[in-house]
Amino acid sequence: MTTSATKQPVKGPSKRSGLGISRAEARRETIAAYLFLLPFLIVFVGFVLIPMVMCLWTSFFDSTMAREDIFVGFGNYIKMFQDDIFWKALMNTALIVVVAVPTVTAFSLWVASAIYKMKAASCSFFRCIFYLPVVTGTVAVTVVWKWMFNNYYGIINYVAKGVGVIDNNVNWLGNPKTAIWCIILILFTTSIGQPIVLYVSALGNVDASLTEAAQVDGATKLQTFWKIMWPQITPTTLYILVITTINSFQCFALIQLLTSGGPNHATDTIMYYIYYQAFKLYQYGYGNAMGVILAIIIALLSALQFKVAGKGND
Amino acid sequence: MKKALALVMAGAMALSMVACGGGSTSTATSGSTAASTGTSTASSGAATEITLWTYPIGSWQKEETVNGFIAEFNKQYPDIKVNVEYLDYTNGDDKVTTAIEAKNTPDIIFEGPERLVSNWGAKGLMVDLSDLWTEEATADISKTSEAVVNACKGADGKYYEYPLCMTAHNMAINYELFKETGALQYIDEETRTWTTDNFVKALETLRDSGKVMTPAIVYCGGQGGDQGTRALVNNLYSGTYTNADHTAYTANSAENVKALELLQKLNNEKALTFDPALQASDELQMFANGTAAMTFCWNASNEATYAEQVTFTPYAMNFPTDDGKVELCGGIWGFGIFDNGDDAKIEAAKTFIKFICDDATQGPASVQATGFFPVRSSFGNVYAGTEDETRMATFQTFLPNMGDYYNVTGGWTEQRTAWWNMLQEVGNGSDVQAAADKFVETSNAAIG
Repeated sequence: MTTSATKQPVKGPSKRSGLGISRAEARRETIAAYLFLLPFLIVFVGFVLIPMVMCLWTSFFDSTMAREDIFVGFGNYIKMFQDDIFWKALMNTALIVVVAVPTVTAFSLWVASAIYKMKAASCSFFRCIFYLPVVTGTVAVTVVWKWMFNNYYGIINYVAKGVGVIDNNVNWLGNPKTAIWCIILILFTTSIGQPIVLYVSALGNVDASLTEAAQVDGATKLQTFWKIMWPQITPTTLYILVITTINSFQCFALIQLLTSGGPNHATDTIMYYIYYQAFKLYQYGYGNAMGVILAIIIALLSALQFKVAGKGND
Repeated sequence: MKKALALVMAGAMALSMVACGGGSTSTATSGSTAASTGTSTASSGAATEITLWTYPIGSWQKEETVNGFIAEFNKQYPDIKVNVEYLDYTNGDDKVTTAIEAKNTPDIIFEGPERLVSNWGAKGLMVDLSDLWTEEATADISKTSEAVVNACKGADGKYYEYPLCMTAHNMAINYELFKETGALQYIDEETRTWTTDNFVKALETLRDSGKVMTPAIVYCGGQGGDQGTRALVNNLYSGTYTNADHTAYTANSAENVKALELLQKLNNEKALTFDPALQASDELQMFANGTAAMTFCWNASNEATYAEQVTFTPYAMNFPTDDGKVELCGGIWGFGIFDNGDDAKIEAAKTFIKFICDDATQGPASVQATGFFPVRSSFGNVYAGTEDETRMATFQTFLPNMGDYYNVTGGWTEQRTAWWNMLQEVGNGSDVQAAADKFVETSNAAIG
């Protein structure tokens, strides 16, 4: 199958695209590209777009199991803003995001900075160590943490008492003041793997000639980092910020497996509360309304991060 | 050539996605096992295929046990193929909810009236099983317990469950530890009962002995095993969980508040521990490994489960009461049929249920596998002559103490969450009356 471009004489710029191929060729390539995209598009439409639209639609209904939906307009949204537990869950979610996102990003950058210049074997070893919690199943991770936090024979109490930090056992997951911090700690350990791998890669790709030139010109290590390296890894940082924010907002499995939102709603998050409303109380409309609000918050924050971090990347 | 290849590849990828999609729609039977006589079923041109979902009730969570039952069933009914899927209590309800919304429910489900009757039955999702409740069956089951018959019947008078077995949930103590610390004097070993005052004394004795990490744990990290904490609270001062006609929750009554205040006081004095980080399964583990001196979540099945782990005698007990009249929470398990609109499947499902529950040979075997007791009085002692005979005889003595089966009260699902949340508040030092009032308000609102 010979392309028509090789047979047909060039008839002028109107018949050719800017890339120097004919319109027919461009159209065929476009069709081929879309066909390649089609499988993902089907999944994206079926499992993302349509559910999103359905979520928005259902949020305007009093929807429950085995009964026709009743249109309630903004009733679910009004109910949500009057729901104390929703606000508690929102605050907990915000706390998780505010603490986890900067610490995960900063710690990942610090670790990556320390290991990216190591020999390949050493670097791979550390990447593997930090990535292990990511590839380990969530259930296995939480079972181990639950044992470590155990009030009666957990290793954390054992060590803390041993070094004199505490006098009596602390019920880490059973105390409203400590439970949320335990969740954040576990989330932190399971979130740093991917950012570290990304940062190691990004730092390795920084143009060495620029850093060497800066050092020759008398720049300090800090100046070299901020003026030369940081701008080059900003796109990676932006990506890490966005995915960590989204992951933190969507913290669910840890809560479900460890605390069920307790004690006294101290670890309720929006995601868990959505699950609770939809799967335990069958309040699908109300759960979807919360989902819409969560999506809006994540979208706004992501846009803000793109705006702020994107500026330095222009 | 390149483009042709690209098109073929794109088409193949698209088709593979469609194929994957097709697979995902049949997740209800993924991971399931189909047990049948195979050749006989396959040779029949009119085989009916039904699906059974079972919660982990005794050995009904074991594939070899259930497959054995189905093989026996297929000897008589080779044209009915039964697929089985095993649920757990952590995610089972979510799976059923998803299946209901996806209109992909199993034909048969094995659980108790609080799900089959009060929840799915009340929502019109289940088949009326009144035809299974023949005069003979009703009389036979009534002879064991009228409460079982009533529990299987919805508010509309239709039967949504056909029961197989029952038990009365109780508690257990570490016998050797009680003896060693001198706490054994506070229990009546003959009747396995104790008074509220003696219960408190036993807790204090155990605490003061320093031989156990905590005398008892009021687990409140989730709803699993909540029958234990409900029975504890209700029995201490003879409170009730609901009113007699099951139309309102009464956990904020003076008796219940007094009981909760006592437990809060004991918690403050470290004679027991309210633990929001633990669920019943965790508490059982704490009991089994000697961290706690007693468990509030005991029954014959749990004893069998933990038999190999414990290094002491788990001594089954009634819950402590102030008036000597124990009211244990009952457990009833049986089968329900989801109304999938296929008469052939419904009939096949009923045939299967009748065989499993009523067959003179299979019925007792089905009960034995649960580790509980038959609802049919005609089955007699199904453990006679087995290695479990003595052990089960002990648990049988608890059956007469089974109290009102209030699990059929409306809003059951919602109140379960409200209950452990309330216990968390009580354990956290909140005002008991206010916490109980909030529980009752939330739960009654859910009755609808």
